[in-house]
Amino acid sequence: MNTIIIDGLSFALPLLIIAIGGIYSERSGITNLALEGLLGFGAFSGGLFVAATAGVFAPTSQVPLYLSFLVAAGGGALFSILHAVLCIKFRADQVISGVVVNIVSIALTGFFTSTINAAVFGQASNKFMLSTSPRLTIPLISKIPLLGAVFTNFYPFEVIILVLVALCWYLLYRTRYGLHLRAAGDNPQALDAAGIDVARVRFKAVLMSGALSGVGGMCFAYSISTNFSPAIYFGSGYLAIAALIFGNWKIMPTFAACLIFGFARSAAYQLVLALNADASVADLAMITPYVITLLLLAFFAKTNRSPRALGELYDKSKR
Amino acid sequence: MTKKKPLQLFARLLGNERWQFITIPAFSILCSLVAISVIILLIGKNPLEAFSSLLAGAGWIAKSNYAGGKAAFTDFMDMLDAFTPMLFAALAVTVALKSGLFNIGVAGQMLLSGFIATVAVGYSDLPSVVARPLVLLIGIVVGAAAGALMGWLKDRFNIHEVVSSIMLNYIFQYVISFFIKTRYIDPVSRQSRMAAASARLEITDIKIAGVTTHFPLGLVLALIAAIGIWFLLAKTKTGLELTATGLNAKSARYAGIRTGRTLIIAMGISGALAGLAGVTYYLGSVRSIIPGELTSVGFDSIAVALLGNTHPLGNIASSLLITTLTSGSTYMSSTVGVRQEIASLIVGMILLFSACGGYLKLWVQRATSEQLPDKGSESVHPRTISGQEEQA
Repeated sequence: MNTIIIDGLSFALPLLIIAIGGIYSERSGITNLALEGLLGFGAFSGGLFVAATAGVFAPTSQVPLYLSFLVAAGGGALFSILHAVLCIKFRADQVISGVVVNIVSIALTGFFTSTINAAVFGQASNKFMLSTSPRLTIPLISKIPLLGAVFTNFYPFEVIILVLVALCWYLLYRTRYGLHLRAAGDNPQALDAAGIDVARVRFKAVLMSGALSGVGGMCFAYSISTNFSPAIYFGSGYLAIAALIFGNWKIMPTFAACLIFGFARSAAYQLVLALNADASVADLAMITPYVITLLLLAFFAKTNRSPRALGELYDKSKR
Repeated sequence: MTKKKPLQLFARLLGNERWQFITIPAFSILCSLVAISVIILLIGKNPLEAFSSLLAGAGWIAKSNYAGGKAAFTDFMDMLDAFTPMLFAALAVTVALKSGLFNIGVAGQMLLSGFIATVAVGYSDLPSVVARPLVLLIGIVVGAAAGALMGWLKDRFNIHEVVSSIMLNYIFQYVISFFIKTRYIDPVSRQSRMAAASARLEITDIKIAGVTTHFPLGLVLALIAAIGIWFLLAKTKTGLELTATGLNAKSARYAGIRTGRTLIIAMGISGALAGLAGVTYYLGSVRSIIPGELTSVGFDSIAVALLGNTHPLGNIASSLLITTLTSGSTYMSSTVGVRQEIASLIVGMILLFSACGGYLKLWVQRATSEQLPDKGSESVHPRTISGQEEQA
């Protein structure tokens, strides 16, 4: 039971931060199918940073670990400029732009990882190795039955994510900028009439989604494989999109969606282990989170409503 | 004004609206080739050499030497082998996009229909006269059912098609992996057992003009499908209903179109095409299924459809371009030493530039109309203005 909670959280939280990135972009009116590419590029930047500074820090130092998240956020934000410029300045179709950003990101990171490894570090590899992330346990609280598992063996990034989630929630729902952002997605004409630059608000929102996805990607790089390799593109960006649509483009319901997803996933794993079943049965168990999501959606999706101006180019002359 | 001269010349080069469907993609391809050349130069290789080996690998031009009985024609047919499922898949994405839907589940629908056709026909000993049409039929029916399911989920439960298709992709992938691993595994290759040659949609090892090659049977069908889909969308009532719903679902409903039904039909057609892509892929160029893996054709087809301007006939050209790049890249990396990833980078770059096509169009309109003294009329009749420019 404890393992279900521990593993479930370590999958759900990175997914959540990516999904929140998506929420920022989509609530501002920019469809963001590019999450997969953004998280990959973020993880690539973080991985490159760790590989490049390998000699600078002491081997046991935790500094590169924490700095890599910062770099990943920067990398994700940098790459999201591509999506923002295509959608806002070059008036590209937002779905098309998202797909393009994903393709370019996969191609670019794969190419650069191999090339940089060969040219700079002199090895034929398509990976950047990372250090193993430490796992923390809070002494007394972790002894509480069931609930204690939340405080056992967690990754430091889970704390970072929770802090970020709280900040993002505050920014989106309690600040002037958050209000502008939500207005840009629902009624950009009204926002424009109030004297706010819609393009600027949307641009910032896409940058934000890039940064948050980058952090999420870096978390997956640490928790799933302890390296950066093209295997980072395993579809978590699309899962995050599913989660945010499931969560009706709101942060807290999306949080719930991610938790359901993470726990269903780790519970399925543990079930297979407990039954001591054959590896092929694991495949059947692995469909649990996806089936649960579909079933839940069948019950709850009726009232779902996307932001009104989502996917539309802002045209000043339109009524 | 003199400073703007070269820009205007360039704008006129891109032509008026009638030719822009060809000049703007051509310009995008040119831009991306230039950008990639710079990257290849930076890693110290000759870009011209890289591009020519790319073409040679896809069979457009001759390689320096060949194994016995093979020629550039063999490579060319290999490329067409990959082209066939790609065109079907791109058409699947196109039909959905034209109807305002995004079918991201092409890969899953391909896998499902390919798997069912393999199990039902590929492992039987039916004669090829019965087996081959049956495979095609299964592809269409299974694909259409999977596609229509997504349409139904959206219509009945308001589940976004992107979400349901991603979920179903994973479900198909895992369930089929389970069945392959428990029942149909080949212990040596760790893939599903080979489908019988009589069920394959491909004639292998035939001699055409003294050259050993093979012929993908689906090729003709794929080209017919492209024309058929064009006809459906442009000339029929159903096509009008689909595109009208795609352009504006609300006004389509006011016009009396049953949008819910249209939605299911659109996803059904899209799924049927994806199913055909699946059988021409899994029973065509490859003969077995790797458990737990979706083919990249499904996702590449999104890019191909977009590059083809989501026009059924444009898809033929873009599929040809993309399959040339992907099937030539192995030869390029082995002869010139440029990494294979360059091919997907070229694809990405082409898409990147063509995504800006709409903006470019607008820019050309502005640049050409600036020559007229009356600037105010530009926004009123851009079409006639650029037309007059051409005649002048």
